[in-house]
Order: sequence, then structure tokens, then C-alpha cells
Amino acid sequence: MEKKVKAIIQVIIMFVTLLTVGAIASQASAADNSLQKVKQRGELIMVTSPDYPPYEFQVNKGGKSRIVGMDIDVAKKVAKDLGVKLVIKSMNFDSLLVAIQTGKADMAIGGINPTNERRQSVDFSDIYYSGGQSFLINAKDVNKFKSVKNLRGAKIGAQTGTLQYGLAKKRIPGATVKGMDKSTDLVLALKTNKIDALGIEKPSAEAYVKNDPTLKMIPSGYHLNKNDVGAAIAFKKGSNSLVNAVNKSIVQIKKQHLTDKYLASAGKYMKVNTVNTSMFHYWTYFAKGVEYTILISLVATFFGVLIGVILALMRFSKQKLFRGLAISYTEFIRGTPLMVQVMFVYFGIGVVINIPALISGMIAVSLNSGAYVAEIIRGGINSVEKGQTEAAESLGLTKGDMMRYVILPQAFKNIWPALGNEFISLIKESSIVSIIGVTDLIYQLNIVRADTYRGVMPIFVAMVLYFLMTFLLTRLLNYYEGKMKHAG
Amino acid sequence: MQDNVIEVNHLSKKFGENTILKDINGTVKSGQVICVIGPSGAGKSTFLRCLNLLEKPTSGEVKFDGTDLTHVDGKQLLDLRERMGMVFQSFNLFPNMTVLRNLMLAPIRVKQMSEAEAKKTAIHLLARVGLQDKADAYPSSLSGGQQQRVAIARALAMNPEVMLFDEPTSALDPEMVGEVLEVMKELAKEGMTMVVVTHEMGFAKSVANQVWFMADGYILEKSTPDEMFENPQNDRAKDFIGKIIEAK
Repeated sequence: MEKKVKAIIQVIIMFVTLLTVGAIASQASAADNSLQKVKQRGELIMVTSPDYPPYEFQVNKGGKSRIVGMDIDVAKKVAKDLGVKLVIKSMNFDSLLVAIQTGKADMAIGGINPTNERRQSVDFSDIYYSGGQSFLINAKDVNKFKSVKNLRGAKIGAQTGTLQYGLAKKRIPGATVKGMDKSTDLVLALKTNKIDALGIEKPSAEAYVKNDPTLKMIPSGYHLNKNDVGAAIAFKKGSNSLVNAVNKSIVQIKKQHLTDKYLASAGKYMKVNTVNTSMFHYWTYFAKGVEYTILISLVATFFGVLIGVILALMRFSKQKLFRGLAISYTEFIRGTPLMVQVMFVYFGIGVVINIPALISGMIAVSLNSGAYVAEIIRGGINSVEKGQTEAAESLGLTKGDMMRYVILPQAFKNIWPALGNEFISLIKESSIVSIIGVTDLIYQLNIVRADTYRGVMPIFVAMVLYFLMTFLLTRLLNYYEGKMKHAG
Repeated sequence: MQDNVIEVNHLSKKFGENTILKDINGTVKSGQVICVIGPSGAGKSTFLRCLNLLEKPTSGEVKFDGTDLTHVDGKQLLDLRERMGMVFQSFNLFPNMTVLRNLMLAPIRVKQMSEAEAKKTAIHLLARVGLQDKADAYPSSLSGGQQQRVAIARALAMNPEVMLFDEPTSALDPEMVGEVLEVMKELAKEGMTMVVVTHEMGFAKSVANQVWFMADGYILEKSTPDEMFENPQNDRAKDFIGKIIEAK
């Protein structure tokens, strides 16, 4: 009976916490001061997903990486007309609209089609470019897939959350549609015959065909509403003043046919990228990625252990409240995916306090690891013989001293292998922070892949790097384990 | 210090439905050595552990130096506990520290002794139990007998007024029992007040002032060693002593 009551109380605590956070997160925005805010700040913050040439991609010039592309030129023009500086943040395509809804950026640009579904959650500028839709296929399949009619019943890939994805589902009879986050992954899937065709915007398709002779393009043949095919800039709902100001720039862009110029310069950049696709040429990218991965893992290890110890001690507290809190926390964290937690800290809590992506990532991974470490430590404490507690008590040691000098040192020794496991998985699992644009190894990997049009080699390099990191850590952990064994 | 160091009145202890100790009464005077004997399951260890409240009595009082331990707060209990040393059957040395650190931890943390002073005391005590050369060893490298001598020294480092021994030689190989009993005999000779739960009848005979016989949660007989071993009054005691002598 008592157990039931406890369980109910725990569930209630959890829901109250969730509702509170949810209420904060869903706070409606106030009056429209979007333009004023940008001007006051002197900066226009845009988010994009720079893996979509020629719209936006990274260029590697002299070891330094820059985001370029048609969309970037459009954004630059907009910022210049507003008289402010342009700040570019990068993120997964999936996260772009969330980023503007939660105020992480003023606008999102990235070949986004202003579909009716999207219009329900964000505002759009006028369309600045209409590229049309097409399919990429393998050159060897040219005879098999002469036109879009031949794609019936085929396996078609498209970026998740894009217009192409929806269209392939609705308009190609019998097709199996496979969604992925990154166009680079999709191209790789195509080249390795995981999919037969890839639904993609025409300019992107053209870029790929130009850089890769094994790929060919066929027109989509979709008859589409103009609104659905063009690219527009997305804003948070109710940003009328900013949207109107941006539209003025778009009118000029269209009148002067600036996008043609922008596309031409994007094409040049793409050639720069593919001149040298050796992985050594990109070593600075990988180095930076390793640096961030190690940084995040170190911070998360430190705070994870700290949180873990505190939670574990709370579990042994006499106070019911502490015990309940610790149990609820652990259950909740273990019951939700790390990826969702990362997004929640960045976007969700970001509504109240604006935390930079790197810090958000560190917080989320630390909080997550803390819950697991807590359980490991709890097991460790339980594994220390009862006689140790009794001996410490009989000597008159306080509970705190007993934990600090007698129980925890022994517990840590017992759980060292399990703890080491947790640290190693931390290195690997921290890769999830790339979804909010933290430049860790996975993030850099995706950039290199997008830049070089080389599918497998960068993956291999990243794999080796991850292995080296975990291998060295394993050696280090073994060394300390040996040392502890020596000490009795 | 009162003459009665420990006074137990109507002590009983239940684990769930099981009553382990039933209406235990007894006093331990300063300088006395009490040996508690009896068949296994009699409640001897539980009784001993109630004396420093490692087990919380279900009812009754346990007075130490006139203070009822069952009615003090946590802080007071710690203060009283540091005045009672305890030695366990399984030694319970802290395996994560050297022998020296085992002896120094409580004096430094509980008595706020300086590092240097604690070290001096510790080395002195190690010499007393004949293990001065093991100061920097870890417990796992010691034999059982050595570990138990260190455990005694560790308890003595707090300069206790009473020493409680919970079957201190039961976990030892036979050849090591002697060295531990020797240390305990020395202690008794120096006038330490001791309560010893033991199966070592020889030790009880030669060292104890009083022998308490326990069975089924009761103290059935309290008498001098001579009476207890030569002429026990209680039938259960008679039976127990008889079996032991037979076994020898």
C-alpha cells in the first residue's frame, strides 16, 4: 500500500515538473517588435543548415571554413539593406524552424519552401527564388528511369521535413519514401543503391551532377502551386515588421535578377571545394571536431560524476523528499532519449534563458550522464560490506566522514569498470549535440562530407578518430584501475 | 565516571516477528571483563551490538556512564560511541587505507587530533600489538591475526573507556587465535573494561571476572568463571559447558 502511494506521488511530481516547464516553454510572444529588436542589436541572426549546395554550404579556403551559397548572399543583401551585421548560426534542417520559434535566431533561410503546413507555425517572406524540383539518379540507371513515370514503386529518398519528402509520398504511386536528415547521407544512400532516386531541388541536383559524374538528374514533372516550390525566408510568427522590411530587399533581388549572380558565385565556391578532396586537406575540421568532442566529454564526465554522487547520496538520505526527487530524476532522465533532452535544453529552456548551443549541449549531456552515474554509484555503495559502515559508526565517525573516507573510495574502486564504460559511451553519445549545431566531430564530419562530395572516406576518418579517443581512454582507465588494485 | 560503566535494563530486541533479546539485565563495572558465552543463535552478538547502538533496541534502556543511549540525539550518540571501542569478527579494517591511516582516521576526524599527534599515537599502538613494521601496509596484505590486532589498535586509538569484542577470534585460522587473545589479555591486565562475546573458554576462564551464559535471547546465568565452568546452575548452561568440554 505504501509503495503504491509513493509511486503515485512520484508520478505527480513528474507531471507537475513537466507541466511547469511546458507552460514556460509555450508562453506566447508579446507585441511585434521584431524589426526594432534587430536594429537595436545591430545584428541579424540567421540559422541555416549548410549542407545543401548551392543554397548553402561550407567552403574550405586555406584551412578556414566559411558558410557560403546563394541563400547566404540573399541574407547578406537583406542585412545590408537593414543596415545591420549578419550573424550565421548553423543547425540541422529539422531544427531550423524550431530555432526561430524559440528565438534562437531572427530568421531561417535554407531553401525552405513556404508550404501551407509550415505557414501555420511560422511567417514567411515573399519567395526569392524558384528552382523547381527534380530527382537525382545513378548514371547507370539512366535507361531504367528515363522519366519520373518510371519511378513508380521505386525507393525514393528525401530530406526529412522537406517538401520533397511530402511530394514523393503523395505524387509517386507505389513509391517507398525513405527520409534522412542530411542530403549528403541521401546522396550516399543513392550511390550505394539503398535508394533508387533522390527528390531534391533542381539547383542542388545540378550541383551534384556537375561534381559527380556517376549521378544524373531527371525533372520531377510535378505541377505545383508556386507557393510550394519557391524558397522563402522563415520568421517567428508575428514578425510582420521584420518580414515587411525583408520583402523590400527581395523585391530588389528579383528585379535585378541577383540570384543568377549568387548562383554563379556559389558554383565557383563549389569548384574550390572539390579541387582537393583529400582528407588531409580537411584535417583542421577533424581536429576542431575532436577538440569539441573531448571538451564536451570532459565537462560532462566531471559534472556527471558530481551530479551522480549527489543523487546517489540523496537516494540514501533519511529525508523522503530527497529520495523521491532523486528517484524521479533518474527515472525521468533514463526514460527519455538524450537527443530529446539536448533539444529541450537548447530550445525549451532557451525560451526563458538563452543558452549558447555548446553550453546547452554540455548541460544536457551532463544531466543525462549524472542519472546513469548515480545508479552506478548507488550500486557501488551497496557493494561495500556492511561491516565497513559498522566499523566507521563504532569509531564515532559522522555520516559525511564515513561516506567521504570509507564508503565512497571503496565504492569507486568497485564501480571503476562500470564508470569507465559510462565515460567511453559519453565520448560516443555526445555526438548527438551536433543536432543543435555544436561543432563536434560528427558535425564536422557532415560538413566535410557536404563539402567534398565524398561519402565514405570522411566517415572512415571519423570512425578512426572516435576509436583512437576511446582506445586511449580505455588505456588510461586501465592504468588507474591497476593503481587502485595495488592500493589494497 | 560512575562505577557502573554499562547498565542494561529490560532490554529487548525484535527483528520483525522474531524476538532475539528478551528482558536482558546486567551491569558492567569499571575495569571488569565480562565474557558472554552461549550456543549460536542465542543473541550474544545482537546483545553486544545493542550496547553501542549498532542495533537499536526495541525496548528497555542501555545506560553508558549514566546516559541512556536509546534516548539521545545523533550528535550525542556519536560522542558516546567514540568512548566505546568495538572489534568485529570480520575485522572490518578499511581496505582503501594503509594500516597507519586506519588508526589515524578517527582520531583526526572525530577527536580533531593533529596529524602528527595521531601518527605518534598510532605508531605507539602498533608497537603495542607488535605490528609497528606494518604501518604502511594495506590490510589485504596482512594475515587474519594481524588484521585483528590492527583492528584492536584502531579501536584503542580513540582511547575508549570500554572495549566491545564480537567473537574476535571466530574468523581466524587456529594458529592465529593465540596472538589475538594475547593482546586482549594484555588489555585486560592493564585494567580495560571489556565485554567479550567469545567461544574461547580458555580465555574466559583465565581473564573474565564474570561469565554470562546466553540462550534463546535470555541471560540464563551470570557467575564467576570457576562456577560457570565447574558447576553451572542452569540446565542449559550445564548442557552447553558439558558439550564443550567433551569436544576438547
